[in-house]
Amino acid sequence: MSRILVADDSETVLLMLQRRLEMSGYEVSTVTDGEQVLEAIAGDELPDLILLDAMMPRLSGVDALQRLRESGCEIPVVMISAHLDAQEPKRMTALGADGTVPKPFDWDELIGQIERLI
Amino acid sequence: MRFNPSLTTRLRIGFLLLFALLLAVSLLGVGRLFQIRVDFEDETTRYFQLELEAERLRAGFILEQAAIRPPARGAQPSAADFARARESFADAAARASEETGDDEALAASLGRVVASEGAWRGSVAEPLVAGRAPPAAVQRRLTGAVTTEVERLTAGTNEAREAAREDAREDTRSTVILVVAGLAGALLAALILFSGLINSMRAPLARLVDGARRLAGGELDTRVQVGGPVEISELGKAFNEMAISLERDARERDRVEQMKDDFVLTVSHELRTPVTVVKGFAEMLTADRRSLKARQREAAEVIAESAGQLQNMIEDLLDLARSDAGILRIDPEPTSARALAQRAGRQMRPNFDGKGQKLTVSVEKSLPEVKADADRIGQVLSNLLTNANKYAPEGARVRLSASRNGSTVEFAVADTGPGLDREELEHVFERFWRAQGGETRAVGGTGLGLAIAKSLVELHGGRISAESVPGEGTEFRFTVPVARAGRRRGRSGKRTASKPSGSRRASPRRSR
Repeated sequence: MSRILVADDSETVLLMLQRRLEMSGYEVSTVTDGEQVLEAIAGDELPDLILLDAMMPRLSGVDALQRLRESGCEIPVVMISAHLDAQEPKRMTALGADGTVPKPFDWDELIGQIERLI
Repeated sequence: MRFNPSLTTRLRIGFLLLFALLLAVSLLGVGRLFQIRVDFEDETTRYFQLELEAERLRAGFILEQAAIRPPARGAQPSAADFARARESFADAAARASEETGDDEALAASLGRVVASEGAWRGSVAEPLVAGRAPPAAVQRRLTGAVTTEVERLTAGTNEAREAAREDAREDTRSTVILVVAGLAGALLAALILFSGLINSMRAPLARLVDGARRLAGGELDTRVQVGGPVEISELGKAFNEMAISLERDARERDRVEQMKDDFVLTVSHELRTPVTVVKGFAEMLTADRRSLKARQREAAEVIAESAGQLQNMIEDLLDLARSDAGILRIDPEPTSARALAQRAGRQMRPNFDGKGQKLTVSVEKSLPEVKADADRIGQVLSNLLTNANKYAPEGARVRLSASRNGSTVEFAVADTGPGLDREELEHVFERFWRAQGGETRAVGGTGLGLAIAKSLVELHGGRISAESVPGEGTEFRFTVPVARAGRRRGRSGKRTASKPSGSRRASPRRSR
């Protein structure tokens, strides 16, 4: 079973994502900011994919993504973007993201991207 | 504080000064002319008088000569007769000496007359009266001398009179010249005074004009330097007060606008997350059909649908708020116009089928690529189709077409719905405006779709317009610029791969 690490600062959004991904047969762990993402990656059990909200307190998803890529981590990352700016997906890709999904979520697109990357 | 009289005071001082100068020059001139005239008349009278006395002297001397001439051969001249004649001559001489006045030449001439007569009397008249006849040559010489002196006096008087006339003329002329010069000088002084007055106004007025232009041009921090006569400097102060007030109002307006924009953005943003979660869970419930009873599933479906509508409205509000705040951005790339139209038609078709309406999509073959943000143009098409779907009755026909139009591709959505009258057409792109048809309340939506469509089309550099015939239908048209040839196509392909159709904006009003 593939493991997905989901990071979002909203507990309800996290729960929703967790349940929805579990419905599609993934094992999901959740964290609420970028620091915790880095901690999780430092552990033994690495996720197969990270779903990372771009905007989070403490360490944002964008900064966490940069740190991950700088540290040589090659786990696929899909960014969750509030899509305030049409250029956002391009910037995420440039920073090393493997995909970007807009918020509010389109489940077909989200699941489609995850399946493509795992 | 330096002396700064008002305009009226300046004008008054100027006019008073001018008036006083003109009056003084005129009065002096007229007075002098009058004096010249009076003096001239006095002198003329005096010289006439003197001339008259000269004649009397001549007559007196003739009487004296007559008195010493013997009345008959051998008779003695009468001493009494001579004395009378002599008295008349002396009278005339005395009167003449009164008339010579301070004219020394005439006084001397008169003196010579009197002296020559004295010499004649002593050497000719008195010896003759005494019976001794002086030699004839002496008689002739002394008599001739008196006559000559009297004639000289007459001539001198005439000359003096002529000279007085000349003097009077000369004085009159010079006085007139002086008066004219004085008047000209007064006018010149007035001219200098008034041009100084105008100059003192010119610079501050020019500053005011310049300030007003800059203020009108939007430079609200414009202030003018206050100066010039009191009235002008008051105008300058009032202008500055007005500018301050305008600037304050504009600042306040901007602040309120900013607050409104911030409010809408914040509220919309904060609404997003809970609505997303509600919709997400409701959709999960509806997807998990087996574990729910029919009524629970129905409830979940209604919740999901309503949350979806709410989500669309929030997205619309966010788009407009971003548009107002100037942060609505698009990502235009060369995109197939044909694919845009066909995708929009494909996504909206279920809605038309559901209402028994017939949707036809007709796209010109070999349409060029357009420079468009595929999601956003998809949103515009979707908004227009949603409107047609909502407002046209069951069984209506809706046509989506795309055709080349110069350097643009023109998309059109035409329906056979109830149409809009002229007044309604004017408001059709205003936000929150909705057609006043009988079905209005039955038609959902925020009334933001066309306003957003307009913002998005204009952001692409295109134009959107609406035409309608009441009772026959409505047609919306908008243009999107054609992508310039030679642009990279790889990226758009890659983008499509990483963002498959059906992204966020693909079906904003999916109501079923």
